[in-house]
Amino acid sequence: MKASLGRFLVAPLCIVVAATTFAALAPDFVSGGNLGSIAGQMWVLVLLAVGQMFAIASRGFDISVGVTAALASTVAAIAANQFGLWALLAAPLVGIACGAVNGWLIGRLGLQPIVATLGMLIAAKGLALLISANGQAIPLSDANMAARLAFDAVFGLPPLGWLALLCVVAAHGILRHAAIGRRILMLGSNPDAIGLVGADAGGLQIRAYQLCGLFAGFAGMLMTARAGAGLPTEGFGMELQSIAAAVIGGTALSGGLANVWAVLAGATFIQVVLTGLNLAGVSPFLAQIVVGAVIVGSGLIDAGLHAVLTTIQKSKTSLQRTKGTPL
Amino acid sequence: VTLLLPWSPPVQKRYRPPAILWIAAATFVLFLFLVPRFGTLGNIENVLRSAAILGIVSCGQAIVIILGGIEFSFGASAALASVLIVMALPETGVPLAFAAGMLGVVAIGMANGFAIAKFRISPVIVTLGTLMMASGSAAWLAGGMPIDAPMSDVFSWPSRGRVGGVPVPIILAAVAFLLLHLLLAHTRLGRLWYLVGANPIAARLAGLRVVWTLFGGYAVAGLFCALGAVILTSRVGSGQPALAPNLAFETIAACAIGGLPLSGGRGRVSQVVCGVLVVAMLNNAVVLLNLPAADQLIVMGLLVVSAVLLQRDWNFITRFVPEGKRPR
Repeated sequence: MKASLGRFLVAPLCIVVAATTFAALAPDFVSGGNLGSIAGQMWVLVLLAVGQMFAIASRGFDISVGVTAALASTVAAIAANQFGLWALLAAPLVGIACGAVNGWLIGRLGLQPIVATLGMLIAAKGLALLISANGQAIPLSDANMAARLAFDAVFGLPPLGWLALLCVVAAHGILRHAAIGRRILMLGSNPDAIGLVGADAGGLQIRAYQLCGLFAGFAGMLMTARAGAGLPTEGFGMELQSIAAAVIGGTALSGGLANVWAVLAGATFIQVVLTGLNLAGVSPFLAQIVVGAVIVGSGLIDAGLHAVLTTIQKSKTSLQRTKGTPL
Repeated sequence: VTLLLPWSPPVQKRYRPPAILWIAAATFVLFLFLVPRFGTLGNIENVLRSAAILGIVSCGQAIVIILGGIEFSFGASAALASVLIVMALPETGVPLAFAAGMLGVVAIGMANGFAIAKFRISPVIVTLGTLMMASGSAAWLAGGMPIDAPMSDVFSWPSRGRVGGVPVPIILAAVAFLLLHLLLAHTRLGRLWYLVGANPIAARLAGLRVVWTLFGGYAVAGLFCALGAVILTSRVGSGQPALAPNLAFETIAACAIGGLPLSGGRGRVSQVVCGVLVVAMLNNAVVLLNLPAADQLIVMGLLVVSAVLLQRDWNFITRFVPEGKRPR
């Protein structure tokens, strides 16, 4: 546990570095208004990243989260127009359904995560286009109320921000304290061993992807409320950012290591970079290049930490061996 | 030819065509009957033309998948190439401009290979990162808008020219497939790709130069993608920062449908050809039937998943075969 602590400190460190740089480049960056806007904007990415974390912790990943969020957003908007605003809660259900399909393909039929979620990405994109008259945004009939939920701060955060924070706290509870979370981590750190202790590895994978879909669905709900419309074509590129946020947040791509607060910090870091570049007057295209570099950098950090940790572990075991040899 | 039905006895030491060949043939026959105007000569040429570009880029994807990796940056690097080509065109002339564009794509391939081989970063992360970097650079260079290219015969030759009545892209695709076959089956590097893809740790312990093999694989893959990018640019006649955003997904789909296991270490050119043809026929049928693009995406998604399920030596189908009649 101690050895893995370092990897969870990378993201907070990154935030400090990025924030200092941007504060030097653009004085407006530290203004209350800007910090408030970051705090309001980041939750979609945070939710996607936390969901992604569950998939990565189980030694897979889900490249369909962005599209799942878009599909959930579209369905939620249609449902809300039909039944009233509370029907926005259809979004998490759509997310769970998409996640269940992914999980079933991976856990029960033994498909590789990349194939299953790629198929889901393509199919869900098509489904979102199909139910929304070819990609047109679906305006909410009660957009004012939705905007109030998404933007008007109550005790510092808008109500949906509080909901997102609640989701993150719940994710922490699931990962740290619930049997399902502990088992998902176990599955990720050793998929062979999990079957030997009597747990159903395939079932756990289904749960992991369902959790991933659930959080993607909440992200879709948030997107809908913020835009005041269902957004069938939004979300492309978000899956990349969510993977980057999860990996910067110390989630090991080899599975088994994850921390919700670090992922929260990772997502915040990406939002800080995006907002900071925007404030510094950098073209959005250049900002895209920077995000790409951040993604590769996150992979580099993950690979570096992995190499360092294995070296430490190896030297420890070899030390024990020399101590233990009867010669 | 033995009928390769699922319950036929296992055939030893005999050439066994990939399962996808039957799927491709069945799709073709099905579309002949179901889709109006599918069987006309002009339409079949159309299918082959679009299959050509997809096929050339899929050759690159196949190498990467055999290596046990995956390459998401193809679409974005093709877009970057088209912007580079059109920007270089007024100053350098057509051949040099094409060379500049190809150089850009190969450079991205080499960068991917370097990061993946040397630093052992996950291919998904690296190529998604370069995807964003390449598409950001393309949009930045072009100012976010498509740039028109001055048309000339030389410029449009790779996509519209004909040699002996056969369209140039189809010839180029045939050459690419032949080249890939020679590489995979008859060169040292190609054989090493299989070994590294099947088990990188064993390959390293056996003293193979894993880093160079990986790097070479991603660089050659970039070369195939570069060729496809040139034909694509010549076809659209402009530098487009949003050119072919789904190219990488379509090539992965083609390889997966063809039956290349994404875990790496296996795969033949014939599988890639069949996979590409299935994807191209499907795209064409959707256009002919005037279906919305949405249906195309849904069918493609289902096809990717179901084809990968089918690929494992019909294991999936054998579940429906009675117990006693299953092949061992």
